[in-house]
Amino acid sequence: MLRYILRRVLESIPTLLLIVTIAFALLHAAPGGPFAADKAMLPEIRHSIEARYHLDEPLWRQYLRYLGDLAHGDLGPSFQYRNTSVNQLIAAGLPVDLTVGLSAIVLALLAGIPIGLNAAWRRHTLWDRLPMGLAVAGISLPVFVVAPLLVLVFAVKLHWLPAGDWVHGSPSHLLLPVAALALPYVAYVARIVRGSALEVLNTSFIRTAHAKGLPAHRILLHHTLRPTLAPVVSFLGPTTAGIVTISIVVETVFGLPGIGRFFVTGALNRDYTLVLGITILYGTLIILFNLLADLCYAWLDPRVRLE
Amino acid sequence: MRAGARGLALGLSTALAACSQHAGPRAAAADPAPTIAVGSAAATVQAVARTLDDYPRSLDPQLTTDIPSQRVLDDLFEGLVALSIDGRPVPGAAASWQQSADSRTWVFHLRENARWSNGAPLTAEDFVYSWRREVDPKTASGYAQALAPIVNGLEIALGHKPPDTLGVEANDAHTLTVHLMAPTPYLLDLLDQVYLYPVYRPAIERYGDDWVRSEHIVSNGAFALQEEIIGNRITLRANEHYWDASHVSLRTVVYYSMPDRAQAVLRYLAGDVQFTDSFAASQRPWLKSTLGDQVVNSPWLGIYMLAFNVRLPPFRDQPSLRQALILAIDRAALTRYLKYDMYQPADTLMPPLAGYEPQHPAWARSGQADRNALARRLYAEAGYSPQHPLRVDISTSIQGADERHFFEAVAAMWHSVLGAEVGVDESEFKVLLQNRDLKRLPLFLDSWIGDFADPVNFLQLFDSRGSLDYGGYSDTRFDALLDRAAQEPDNAARYRLLEQSERVLNEDAVYIPLYYYATRHLVKPYITGWHSNLLDRNLSRYMSILEHQGR
Repeated sequence: MLRYILRRVLESIPTLLLIVTIAFALLHAAPGGPFAADKAMLPEIRHSIEARYHLDEPLWRQYLRYLGDLAHGDLGPSFQYRNTSVNQLIAAGLPVDLTVGLSAIVLALLAGIPIGLNAAWRRHTLWDRLPMGLAVAGISLPVFVVAPLLVLVFAVKLHWLPAGDWVHGSPSHLLLPVAALALPYVAYVARIVRGSALEVLNTSFIRTAHAKGLPAHRILLHHTLRPTLAPVVSFLGPTTAGIVTISIVVETVFGLPGIGRFFVTGALNRDYTLVLGITILYGTLIILFNLLADLCYAWLDPRVRLE
Repeated sequence: MRAGARGLALGLSTALAACSQHAGPRAAAADPAPTIAVGSAAATVQAVARTLDDYPRSLDPQLTTDIPSQRVLDDLFEGLVALSIDGRPVPGAAASWQQSADSRTWVFHLRENARWSNGAPLTAEDFVYSWRREVDPKTASGYAQALAPIVNGLEIALGHKPPDTLGVEANDAHTLTVHLMAPTPYLLDLLDQVYLYPVYRPAIERYGDDWVRSEHIVSNGAFALQEEIIGNRITLRANEHYWDASHVSLRTVVYYSMPDRAQAVLRYLAGDVQFTDSFAASQRPWLKSTLGDQVVNSPWLGIYMLAFNVRLPPFRDQPSLRQALILAIDRAALTRYLKYDMYQPADTLMPPLAGYEPQHPAWARSGQADRNALARRLYAEAGYSPQHPLRVDISTSIQGADERHFFEAVAAMWHSVLGAEVGVDESEFKVLLQNRDLKRLPLFLDSWIGDFADPVNFLQLFDSRGSLDYGGYSDTRFDALLDRAAQEPDNAARYRLLEQSERVLNEDAVYIPLYYYATRHLVKPYITGWHSNLLDRNLSRYMSILEHQGR
């Protein structure tokens, strides 16, 4: 098990290096530079700014310099936020995204699994059709429609919850963004659980459980749940990495200081270091969550062997 | 300050939140905002929350060039000259000044009681340090060339001379002398620029780039930095050491970054913020009907225009064609139907400014039908016809559907009046900038917001020796008039020369004026002590909160 984890971690290093290299090349190939200002500068002045960030050096040297700094955990200075390093920007934004994203995942699981199980158990009844119909709606409704609607109803009309903003440790500020972010995932999880549970419920060991006269809750919780969750876990690996990072719409609508916005404005402003730093972070998170998903998978399904 | 960057920054979020812009407002319009009862006495809680269109790029006055940073820095710092409530230069850190007869040497007398937020005295030496820092290539300031009017300013910025040769000296702790290259009657308008704000040397030397963090920063304005949550908000508290602290009412000012204009409006309606920095033009009609006087639009010193590259076909050596395109645009219709009456149509470069005679071209006096007739004649003279139409693209940046519709309407007008086949080519802002710098674009978006209230700030856009002349315009008459104006110590006489130069531009038909910018704020009725002004800089220092009921 430990050897497996170690091997996976070591394997991820060349993957990350490849990501960095491709991202570096793409960014530098994009037209326009970080200091191509809206107010054109005299060439000498622009040069002195670029020199400060080593942008006047040959590309290969910039690349090696970047890798050297990266090896020391230094993601470099941001070009657009001139007094702030990429490390500082990520340190400021990531906790916000993690809090909102992980809360949304937890909510998606807490709501989605029971709904899905219930629908499978009572398939073709109203308990199945109504939630699954709503799930289709939940998946289809884009978050940029749901989020402003939530703000309009709960903040502007009812004044129950804040319309946005971020206050550390304030649950009321978390509620709306987490709900907006979780909604489509509740639906996804419910549908996956339903499908998977239907399959499990048709297997012979469940028939045996029925034959033994076990009560419904024991069949569902002790025998059906664990094998049902395997596809949910494979879905959650990459999804979690995505949900904790790429929630720019939710960030924008609720005014959350996460890193999603930095990523987009960084790309538009050719803030090379900022975009690279966040790309590396995303890559790392995806690798990490996929590894966690594989570990969970092995735990859930005894037939899976990690080696 | 080119305005395009700002438009672009907003473009993305506008596109993302397109639904919220339309769904939100309509639903809200059905239910008018609750009325707010305002008294006449000061409220017990003196705090205001304002919005910014984006998160400030930096709180270092010498490193930043964006509008959101300017908003915050105007509260944190104060130059020799400050801005009055209506945006005019008034004594700031300097209580008084004199200029020499030739207007080339200015002596500033700093206030004896001017202090930094840590209580240390503010001295003339602080200004010398800060201004040298601005031009020092090692600082890598984006506006380094802006100190060109000061002796050696440009040479230092270009790396040809050391920073200590800058024409500014501290005669004693409270006297500062500034030596200028040429008479600069508008010097006072320059001095309230953010990059000339003083910075606190010990903090910079000790903490480097991190000197702007809330635990280290020392400033000299009416407010001090209390807390910064990167990407979200900046909280300021009243600076007890400010020389005029007894006249500052607000105890707290919070700036929220809200790149999504629709969100800013929602947060305003929810009562979380009291002063927004903008709203989308398309929201104006329902905002007006819902909020009435809380919606504030006033002239802002800026112009939205298209510029020709006069060195590229099809516009090279084609003044008649350029003139035809300028004429065949119904600006009143554009601003009414596509900009919801937020802006004033523009027929010449310089927005209205006191003392400066507007240089309306002759066609501005005729109706649109006559303009169209003249345009058709000039178009034919230039050799174009329905069988041989003009084919060209308007190059603009991606700013969302509203802006695209605007340019599509311009193209449609040219098509219906002249038969021209004009497309709209949108690209990423950085791509537009690069192509514009490389002078590859025949017809491109060019917008400008004045950094200071002087026509030279606009006319320099066409100075063939400057770095802003993207259209390749070069005219000896025009450049000579600018040079004569630069040597003219008398402001009225200088304005006459600049008016002449603007007439030359208009005769040569090198740009297409579209509309003048307007400020756009939502302001709660209980905020007093602020005034719309041409520079759209509203210092929190003058604001206070009246007693009120309701949000």
